[in-house]
Amino acid sequence: MEHNSRRSAIALTRRDMLAGGAAMLAQLPALGATSAGAAPIGAMTLAWHTAMAPRWLDPQEHDGTATPDNFLMALHDALIKNSGTTLFDHPALAERYEFAKDAKSATFWLREGIKFHNGEPVTPEDVKFSYESYRGALASVFKAKTEAVDIVDRRTIRFHFKEPFLDFLLLFGSSNVTGAGWVVPAKYYQQVGPDGFKRKPIGAGPYKLASQQAGIKLEFEAFEHYYRPVHIKHFTMLAVPEAATRVAMLERGEADLVYGVPGELIDRVKKNTKLMLAPVLSGSFWLELVGFQDPKSPFHDKRVRQAISLAVDRAAINEAEAAGLGKISGNWINNDVQYGLEWPELEHNLDKARQLMREAGHPNGFTVDWLTPLAPFYARGERLVSQLQAIGIRAKLQVMERGVFLQRTQTGKQQWPGVQIIMHGARIGGTWSNWYESFFKCGGFNAADRLCVAELDAKNARYQASIDHAERKQLAEDIQRTILENHYLVPVFRHAFMCGIGPRIAAQKWQDVWPTITTGYAYPWEDIKLKG
Amino acid sequence: MRQFIIRRTCYSIITLLILSLTIFSVVRLTGDPVTLMAEPGARAEDLARVRTQWGLDHSWPVQYAHFVQNILAGNLGISFNYRMPVSELYFERLPNSLQLALAATLLSFLIGIPAGLLSAVRVDGAWDQAGKVVALLGLSIPGFWLGLVLILVFSVYLEWLPTGGKNDWRNLVMPSLALGWYFAASLLRLTRSSMLEVMRSEYIKLARLKGLPGYVVIAKHGFKNALVPVLTLAGVNLVVMVNAAVIIEVVFAWPGIGRLLFEGIFQRDFPLVQGVVVLAGIMIVFVNLLIDILYAYIDPRIRLTR
Repeated sequence: MEHNSRRSAIALTRRDMLAGGAAMLAQLPALGATSAGAAPIGAMTLAWHTAMAPRWLDPQEHDGTATPDNFLMALHDALIKNSGTTLFDHPALAERYEFAKDAKSATFWLREGIKFHNGEPVTPEDVKFSYESYRGALASVFKAKTEAVDIVDRRTIRFHFKEPFLDFLLLFGSSNVTGAGWVVPAKYYQQVGPDGFKRKPIGAGPYKLASQQAGIKLEFEAFEHYYRPVHIKHFTMLAVPEAATRVAMLERGEADLVYGVPGELIDRVKKNTKLMLAPVLSGSFWLELVGFQDPKSPFHDKRVRQAISLAVDRAAINEAEAAGLGKISGNWINNDVQYGLEWPELEHNLDKARQLMREAGHPNGFTVDWLTPLAPFYARGERLVSQLQAIGIRAKLQVMERGVFLQRTQTGKQQWPGVQIIMHGARIGGTWSNWYESFFKCGGFNAADRLCVAELDAKNARYQASIDHAERKQLAEDIQRTILENHYLVPVFRHAFMCGIGPRIAAQKWQDVWPTITTGYAYPWEDIKLKG
Repeated sequence: MRQFIIRRTCYSIITLLILSLTIFSVVRLTGDPVTLMAEPGARAEDLARVRTQWGLDHSWPVQYAHFVQNILAGNLGISFNYRMPVSELYFERLPNSLQLALAATLLSFLIGIPAGLLSAVRVDGAWDQAGKVVALLGLSIPGFWLGLVLILVFSVYLEWLPTGGKNDWRNLVMPSLALGWYFAASLLRLTRSSMLEVMRSEYIKLARLKGLPGYVVIAKHGFKNALVPVLTLAGVNLVVMVNAAVIIEVVFAWPGIGRLLFEGIFQRDFPLVQGVVVLAGIMIVFVNLLIDILYAYIDPRIRLTR
């Protein structure tokens, strides 16, 4: 099962914003509900799948990856954030906001009575400090576009932009893209400095940090003054790098939630009636046919590209790689980002693929020098090599270490000579344009000059310059449609990040614990309850 | 003797310099760490910012000069991943690694030495054959496999011991067994061969001719002398166990230095890998230097011939 619900319209008009603000107010739970409601009880342990770096506890140095938000969501809070099915503007420290029609300012109203874990109130001064001293991912974009941050009154803060900044809210509220919208206590942060803060961070989130063993263990306690009810009193995040150990801990009840159940252990979790498997939809995978725009490339012919798409048996890959629990998406861009286009499932038809190859003048297929998959998904690459053989495309698998792969994908055609196919995979938050700009645009960071479609890049330039929401939406969809209809990129599938839920957690279905569609993690943490 | 100590100390310093240069170069040969600090799709300016922040935009010689300069000042650098001083991380984990290594050493002593002794005394007998099987298994069973089997049996099925982490003594049982098992095998083999060599020596024959009881010959004259190389190996093993119990610490989620090294390698955390390797190198070089000096002190021929 997957999350199908998502915000139907994300065009940010003033009317929408005001309506959104009103809706946000309606969603607000009573302030101080934690103390007013049942007191948090019990303990929960999460077995995390890598080491836990203290830098992830400091939103000021957000590295732009999809990792820190697991920790930020426990310890800190933002003005607005991605939560549940809301992509970026779920009310958090701000009870409402207003985004100017000309996209040149944004105003936020803080909730009444909100506090940091040290008892200090969260003030507009803290928001201003956090934004202005932010130095993590996309800091340069925010700095370049922001003219001033004004404190209007004791609960109101306004951001002024030098030029229309239409993506401000999207970026500001996406916790897996930047940390610019997250608020740290200004006085404390300046007093202890960035290093001191990472050791003993203080936030305004649902859990306060009780102790930290760098890389090993984080122990939290429910924050009694959080503005929403927090149900579990003690929350431990434990780094357990070995997957089999994590699953054993889940079976033994030493962990209540585990991330990253590998393929070979999926059945073990599925068969255990006390446990629940959570196949959380994550990144998308697709094929790049390097240099298809070059007339000498066999990929230049649309029929060849279509034949490749028809030869990919997505259902088989999904079954083998994710126990059938991923999603055979028709798009290479996730549908949990702004203007990400829904596209029907792509056909698998070998006869039609062979026919197209014959028509394109390749009745016996052709040789692909290398098919290079994103590390460590080599098995997926093997399957694709084998499936392409069915239509006469003979490819060899090229295995690269992850860092090398990421570096090589930043290079151009010259570094990928001959006939080459790359299998990419990514999860990028915020907006569809983050995907396009990085992986398709001519000169894009991960595309270099390997893909260049001038017509689409011109449309993208118009998209970037436009402040007309309808026009932007139409351009975004046009570009994606053109890519998909022409098979410029060949979507493979959206894989599932396999996680496990232990018997002590109250859940009817796994989405009760993983309600947020923009992440692979189990937040909002305050909503998780123990049975009984 | 003084000259010998100076000479050996100089060798040690040269060894450490070579080690520092080797580890500095090798980690950099693995590629650019910045690509691993970001997701696919990260912007170029963000990567450039990170590269500058960590001084990775300088040439290798400049970076190496900074590295050596910092080591001499007692600073092993700041971990890319943790944003904490490497020395702080290392010494935070050291007690855990020492605890595990000491427990594993104790276990390896308890298994390896008596079994080796028995094998040597009952050479080619049933005990010796059993000892050979134990040694073979100990040296050939991979630590990660043994670790997972232990977890499955003692934790999941029997529910006697906790799976991983570090809370109380029960958490120490399986990792120390999995780690000590290999070293027990190597101690067994060394004890056996050392004991056999000693038992063939002239003074043992003399002791027997004097009519001393067998157990006195074995315990007082044989075992005592056979123990010297065994203890030397155990000393080096201990240092290795403290710094390089990578697989066992990962399997049992034990918060030690081996796991720190694993994480550093995995993340291309140059300062962390360099720091752990240099500190481990210092320990090993220091232990060896100490052993050399002790040997030279005990046996004057060593300091005269070397």
